[in-house]
Amino acid sequence: MKKFSIAVIMLLTLISLVYLFPLYWTLVTALKTSGEIFSRPPVFFPSQIIFSNFYISLNIFGAVSQTAIGSVPWLIDSTIIAVLATLVSTFLIAAPAAYSLVRYLRSVWLGRLILFMTMIPGAVFIVPFFLMVAKMNLLNTWWGLIIVYISFTAPFATWLLMGFFNDVPKSVEEAAQIDGLSPYQIFYKVSLRLVRPGIIAAIILNFILCWNELLYALVITYSPFPSGSQTVPLFLTSFIIIEKNFAWGGLAAAGIFTMLPTLILGIYAQRYLVRGLTMGSVKG
Amino acid sequence: MRRGQQLKVGLVLALPIIIYFFCFFVYPLFTLFQGAFTNGANVFTLDNFRSMLTDSILKIALVNTAYYFLGSVVVEFSVGFGIAVLLYNYTGRLKPIFRTAIFLPLMASPVVIGLMWLLILNTNYGPLDYFLSFFGVPPLDWLGSQALAMPSLIMANGWEYSPFVFLIIYAGLQTVPQQLYEAASVDGLTRLQTFRFITLPSIRPSIVVAFLLNAIGVLKGFDLVYVLTNGGPGYATYILSFYTYVVGFSFFETHYASALALLFLVIIGAFVFVMLKFTAVEEYLGLKRLKEE
Repeated sequence: MKKFSIAVIMLLTLISLVYLFPLYWTLVTALKTSGEIFSRPPVFFPSQIIFSNFYISLNIFGAVSQTAIGSVPWLIDSTIIAVLATLVSTFLIAAPAAYSLVRYLRSVWLGRLILFMTMIPGAVFIVPFFLMVAKMNLLNTWWGLIIVYISFTAPFATWLLMGFFNDVPKSVEEAAQIDGLSPYQIFYKVSLRLVRPGIIAAIILNFILCWNELLYALVITYSPFPSGSQTVPLFLTSFIIIEKNFAWGGLAAAGIFTMLPTLILGIYAQRYLVRGLTMGSVKG
Repeated sequence: MRRGQQLKVGLVLALPIIIYFFCFFVYPLFTLFQGAFTNGANVFTLDNFRSMLTDSILKIALVNTAYYFLGSVVVEFSVGFGIAVLLYNYTGRLKPIFRTAIFLPLMASPVVIGLMWLLILNTNYGPLDYFLSFFGVPPLDWLGSQALAMPSLIMANGWEYSPFVFLIIYAGLQTVPQQLYEAASVDGLTRLQTFRFITLPSIRPSIVVAFLLNAIGVLKGFDLVYVLTNGGPGYATYILSFYTYVVGFSFFETHYASALALLFLVIIGAFVFVMLKFTAVEEYLGLKRLKEE
């Protein structure tokens, strides 16, 4: 057993490096001078670290800037949209629905429908959602995107929370009932607090889903800045399309800006997320 | 509580999600049918479905989707599974570091992942061709060649999603009771036999769930195609989700796009149906628990 250890450690190190390398490569590209970015052979350890890719702004094509600082307005839009969509779907839709399904309705069909909703690809409903948001006159607004994002955050959070509510011991709720709490009070004051890890997992995972979402953003908030509201992935894609072969440093810096919040959240809340992502499959 | 009151409380709590179903499932589905079975003048027609039969790009997109699907699922499942087993059997101090490193790609935005792979796969300045040059491989045009574009997408997608399979299988491995392994070693089973007769049956739920969720994730894929290849070169990386988007929002043929979306929905539905019918995935996901009592 012991004699395998060194080989195993080396193999695991190699695997970890494979997963870390693209992240590292993006980071060093953002920190390199353009001479070292466009060099053959590629420079793995830059001789000089610069930060100008993050802040110097050379505007081309109007709004799309060559550097990462241009992504700041989009970061703000992204944050507001992701936070609102996540909170609304988690607390107003998913938590009561999951609780009702586990404790009251116990309908397998409704459960199946929720599961199926989490599996529908975004591309299926882009036309109906576009028409729906257009009818409400909310194209190119936060609200339009928030409404559409609820379409995938709500079922995902419901499905996730069902597992957590199922783990709440019935005896706790029965005790609360004897204390004279109404069913709604039991849900709000007792059970909801007991599934806090689930709520945290749902909020973080849904935040990340919204933060990273591209397809709906392309469809609903298509008009260019500054007239519309746009999320970071959308900013980054238009940036990529224009600068694909040129401003790699600025692109990489914008990429770092884009993924930093979710990476930090992911590392910080790893325990909750792993539990959330594997919920259900662990039960057996 | 009386039965009637139970139902009342249940329905009140479920009211938001019932409204949700009407707004985000019933209504858009109705719109899709309406769009797919009419033409621009809002007259009933089956033309949208007829043109599917002669649509050569659709044929390419379906073949590409199958290619992308099979390639990604095979790569992601085998890599994720292998790493999970490897890391589970390693019990040293570096375990949390390895786990975090493998977990990180899941948190990164697909658009950024697309950007990363644009930088890595670049023929002139990218590190991948540089690494391969040590093995005598000439510089390859990863994203620009018909033959390599799809494998490149599968590689990028595999980097992103194999950690997901890893996570679920790894969690499954941790739930196998140690007594089973002790019993196996008392019975004198070899490592391979232990794996085959103890580990595999015990983590069956995780395997099925990981497969289902990963497969669905792959079918949903859009971002990487949009950023890395934009469907090209030619139609080499047109997959169903991308084609539906292009028809709807580049060609503005919303009626045909609606028909394509229905086709897509039927494919997903059929896949999920088969999974539900032939595996115990509902039980593994905890859905069956609702029926008890």
